[in-house]
Amino acid sequence: MTQDHTNKQFDVEMEGIRSGVLSMGGMVEKQLTRAIKALSQEEDADLLDAVGADEAAINQLQINIDQQCAQIIARRQPAAVDLRMVLTVSKIVNDLERIGDEVKKIAYKAAQTRGSDQLTRVRYYDVGRAAANALAMLQHALDAFARLDVERAASIIDEDEAIDAAFSAILRQLISYMMEDPRTITPALEIVFIAKSIERIGDHAKNIAEAVVQVVKGKDVRHSSAKQIRAEVAQP
Amino acid sequence: MKLFVSRGLVAPAIVALATLVAWAIAGTGWALAILAIGAAAAIAFHLYHLQLLSEWASGPLDGPVPVGRGSWAPTFGAIYRQVRTRAAYQRDLRHLIARFQQAAEAIPDGIVVLDKTNRIEWANPRALAQLGLDLAHDTSAPIVNLVRQPEFLRYLESGDYREPIVVVSGRDARMTLSLQLVPFSLDKKMLMSRDVTQLEELARMRRDFIANVSHELKTPLTVISGFVETMQDMELDTRQRERFLQLMLEQANNMQRLVADLLTLSTLESEHNVLIDERFAIVPLMLELSNEAKALSKGQHELSLDIGDAATVLGSRDELASAFGNLISNAIRYTPARGWIAIAWRVDTDGSGVFSVTDSGIGVAADHLPRLTERFYRVDRSRSRATGGTGLGLAIVKHVLLRHQAELEIKSEIGRGSTFAVRLPAPRVERAPPTGDPAHSEYQELTNSAAPRGTSS
Repeated sequence: MTQDHTNKQFDVEMEGIRSGVLSMGGMVEKQLTRAIKALSQEEDADLLDAVGADEAAINQLQINIDQQCAQIIARRQPAAVDLRMVLTVSKIVNDLERIGDEVKKIAYKAAQTRGSDQLTRVRYYDVGRAAANALAMLQHALDAFARLDVERAASIIDEDEAIDAAFSAILRQLISYMMEDPRTITPALEIVFIAKSIERIGDHAKNIAEAVVQVVKGKDVRHSSAKQIRAEVAQP
Repeated sequence: MKLFVSRGLVAPAIVALATLVAWAIAGTGWALAILAIGAAAAIAFHLYHLQLLSEWASGPLDGPVPVGRGSWAPTFGAIYRQVRTRAAYQRDLRHLIARFQQAAEAIPDGIVVLDKTNRIEWANPRALAQLGLDLAHDTSAPIVNLVRQPEFLRYLESGDYREPIVVVSGRDARMTLSLQLVPFSLDKKMLMSRDVTQLEELARMRRDFIANVSHELKTPLTVISGFVETMQDMELDTRQRERFLQLMLEQANNMQRLVADLLTLSTLESEHNVLIDERFAIVPLMLELSNEAKALSKGQHELSLDIGDAATVLGSRDELASAFGNLISNAIRYTPARGWIAIAWRVDTDGSGVFSVTDSGIGVAADHLPRLTERFYRVDRSRSRATGGTGLGLAIVKHVLLRHQAELEIKSEIGRGSTFAVRLPAPRVERAPPTGDPAHSEYQELTNSAAPRGTSS
C-alpha cells in the first residue's frame, strides 16, 4: 500500500493481513523444507509429528486471516486497490493452505517409501530436486507478494513450466523401472503421488504469482498464457 | 559592536561637518540641502545592503555571502564566518557518518537496522546477500515479510534477544544462518546475521562420526555374539560349526579392516606424523596396482592400464599407493560384472601428474559429490556394506592427497560411470628422461603388453 489512508487504523489492518499471509507462507516454506529432508534423509522420528502439528497451525492461520479479511470488507468497505488486496489475500491464503496439505502428503509418503532400495536414487535425486525447485518457486512467489513486484511474479510463471517438465521426466523414469521389475510397482506408485504433489505445489505457487499481478495491475491474469501475462506486466 | 558603531558614525560625521561648513560659508539654505542629500544617500546605502541581506537569506544557506561596505562590512563578515564554520562542521559530520557506514559495510556479519515497528531502515551488503533483501524494494518493508522463518518470527515477538537463533536460510537451503537482534537507541533494533554453515557442518560431522563408528562396530559385534550364544546353547554338528565360525571370522575381519582404516586416518591426521618424501618411479607402482586390480576383480571386469608418461614422483610411496589402490578398489566394487575399468597415468602440459581411474559403473549423483569424502558417507548403505567397504576409503584418499597438496577431481554420471582423478602438483612430478634409459624402455614394453583393453578379462 503506497498511499496512506486518512484512517491510520485501516492501514494497520491492511498491513496486518499482508504480514499474516507472509508469516503463514513462512510456515509453509518450512514445512516444505522439512518434507525435502524427509525425501533425502534416512530417518527422523519426530518429523511426522512436527509436520502434523504445523499443519494444524497453518490451518488455524488460514481461518484467522480469512476472518480479518471479512471484517475489513464489512467495516471499511475498501475500494480499488485495497479491495483487490483483500480479495487476493483471501485467495493466496487458500493456495498456501493447499500447499500445506500437499506437503503433508509428501512427508507421509516419503516415510512410507523409505524402506524400498530399488528406487532410492529416483527419490533422493530426481524427486528431491523437483521439490527443491518447487520450494524456490514458492519463495519467489512470496517475495513477489511482499514487494508487489510484478516482473518477478511474471517470471515465476515460467518456473512452473520447468516443474511440469520435471514431473513428466520422473514419470517416464518410473514407468521404465516398473516395466523392468514388477516389484518396484508399489514404491513407484507412491513416488508418483509424491511427484504429483510437487507438481501441484508448483501450480499453487503460480496462482500466488498471478494474484500478485492482479493486485498491482488490476487485471485478472488467471488462465492467460505466460506471454499474455508478460505483455500485461510490461504495460505501465 | 565598537567597530560597527565607529564605522557607522563616519558617514554622519562627514555630513554633519559638511553641513556646518556650508552653513558657515553659504547660509542656511545650502546647509539644509546638503543635510537632505546626505540623509538620502545614507538611506539608499542602508536599503541597498538590506536588499543584499534579504536576497542572501532567502537563497540557499550555503550560497555566497554578499560583501558589505562601511557599517555593513563587519555584519556581513560575521555572517560569512558563521556560514563557513557551519559548512566545515557539516563536512566533518558527513565524513564521520560515511566512515561509520563504510565500517558497517565492511563488517563480515550482516547488519539490518530496524525501526520501532520492525521495518527495514538500512542493511549492509552482506545482510542483503544472506537474507535475500534488496534495499531498492525493501526499505521500510516489515522485516518479517521477507525473513519469513517461523522461528525468527517467534524470536522477534518473544522480546528475549540474549541468545542468537540458528535458522536455515530462506534463500539457500544449504546455508545456515545465526540471527541475533540487538536493541539500540531506545526503540531501534539491529539484526545481525552470520553464516554458520561451516560450523554447523563441523558439529554435524562430529555427531555423525561418533554415531557411525559405534554403529559400524556394533553390526559385526552383534553377529559374532549372536553366533557365540547359539553355539553355547545348541549342539551343532561339525559342518554347521565350521560355517558359523567362517561367518564369525568374516565379521571379525570386517571389524579389523574398520579399525585399521580408523588408525590409518588418525595417523594421517596426527600432527607428529610428518610426510616423509621419497623419490620413486611411477611405472612400477602402476604395474603393481594393475596386478592388484586384476586379483581383486577376479576376471569380472575388463581392465586396462595406460601409462602416458613415465615419471618420478616425490612423495610417500606407501601413502600414495594406498590412496590409488583405494580408488581402484572402489571402481571395482561399484562396477557390475562385465563392465570396464581404465587406470591411467599421464603428465599434463603444466607439469602436474594425473592418476585417473575411469569405470563404467553405477555412477554418483551430483548431489552426493561434495560429501563423498566424508567419513562413513554412503550413497547407498546396503550396497557399500555388501561389497565390504568400511566407508573410510575416500576419507583416507582425501587425507593422503591433502598431505601431498594434490587434488581429487570427480566426474560422474548416474548409470554411466565415474572418473576419479588425482592431480599431483608439478613440483612433485619429474618427467623421466625419454627413451634410451634401459629401465624405462623395459617398463614401456611391460606396459604395452598390459595396455590393450580387455586382454586381462
